[in-house]
Amino acid sequence: MAEGPASPGGGGSHDSGGEHSPRSNVREQDRYLPIANISRIMKKALPANGKIAKDAKETVQECVSEFISFITSEASDKCQREKRKTINGDDLLWAMATLGFEDYIDPLKVYLAKYREMEGDTKGSGKGGESSSKKEVQPSSIAQISHQGSFSQGASYSNSQTQQMMVPMQGSE
Amino acid sequence: MRQAGKYSGFMMCGGIAGRTGPHSLPLARIKKIMKKSGEDVKMISGEAPIVFSKACELFIEELTRRSWATTLQGKRRTLHKDDVASAIVATDIFDFLVSMVSETASHSEDGTVPEEEETVGSS
Repeated sequence: MAEGPASPGGGGSHDSGGEHSPRSNVREQDRYLPIANISRIMKKALPANGKIAKDAKETVQECVSEFISFITSEASDKCQREKRKTINGDDLLWAMATLGFEDYIDPLKVYLAKYREMEGDTKGSGKGGESSSKKEVQPSSIAQISHQGSFSQGASYSNSQTQQMMVPMQGSE
Repeated sequence: MRQAGKYSGFMMCGGIAGRTGPHSLPLARIKKIMKKSGEDVKMISGEAPIVFSKACELFIEELTRRSWATTLQGKRRTLHKDDVASAIVATDIFDFLVSMVSETASHSEDGTVPEEEETVGSS
């Protein structure tokens, strides 16, 4: 939403009355993730001979911000309904599952478990009693991942993605 | 206190050192974008941007792969904005992005909207 079409550089079309158009000229580094990082991740997803035009990078850059807002809004609504003030990781996972990104859940849980493990290792001893309980938490949170026996699904993530990629192209909408 | 081996082991996941730490996208920036999502978004747990750093990576990869499929269909080797737009239109879960790319499409094609309708109908 908001002046998405305009390039992040701020040039081009005037904004077309998006929701936060008043701040359309806010410093772009506040609104987008760095294009170098985006570009690096995009290249990872392409074969070695694939090239990416600048306008494609900018479009993806805008889309990522939109993605963050989209998920965050849904998670924020949930927090409000449940009268909680802080959006946590689980709220985001729930929002993603709700909005059709359930394929991301398993890899995200693995990532989170890895992160918690690292946190536990690096500053666990300084945290007193919490560290021991944290170590208990990890295996169970990994166990939760395998709902629907999808641990293997997580492993073959890239595989299933490629298959799905073809479905919407052929199947009409 | 830090055990370099384990820490750098995790860093391999993000792949990029420096400002982003172990993650491939800067957490502070993610948090800023989250806060802009709505006025109700005030408190964000420390884990939330970490979840997003990976989620955005997955999102970018998926969007890129789907866009690249369009590039290949056109027998090209460079991924362009139009390919991203086609991927968005063709994918249900990317519906929330349609408004971003459809406006540009109609602008750049001098408002030849009828043609666009035809493509949508036939695909």
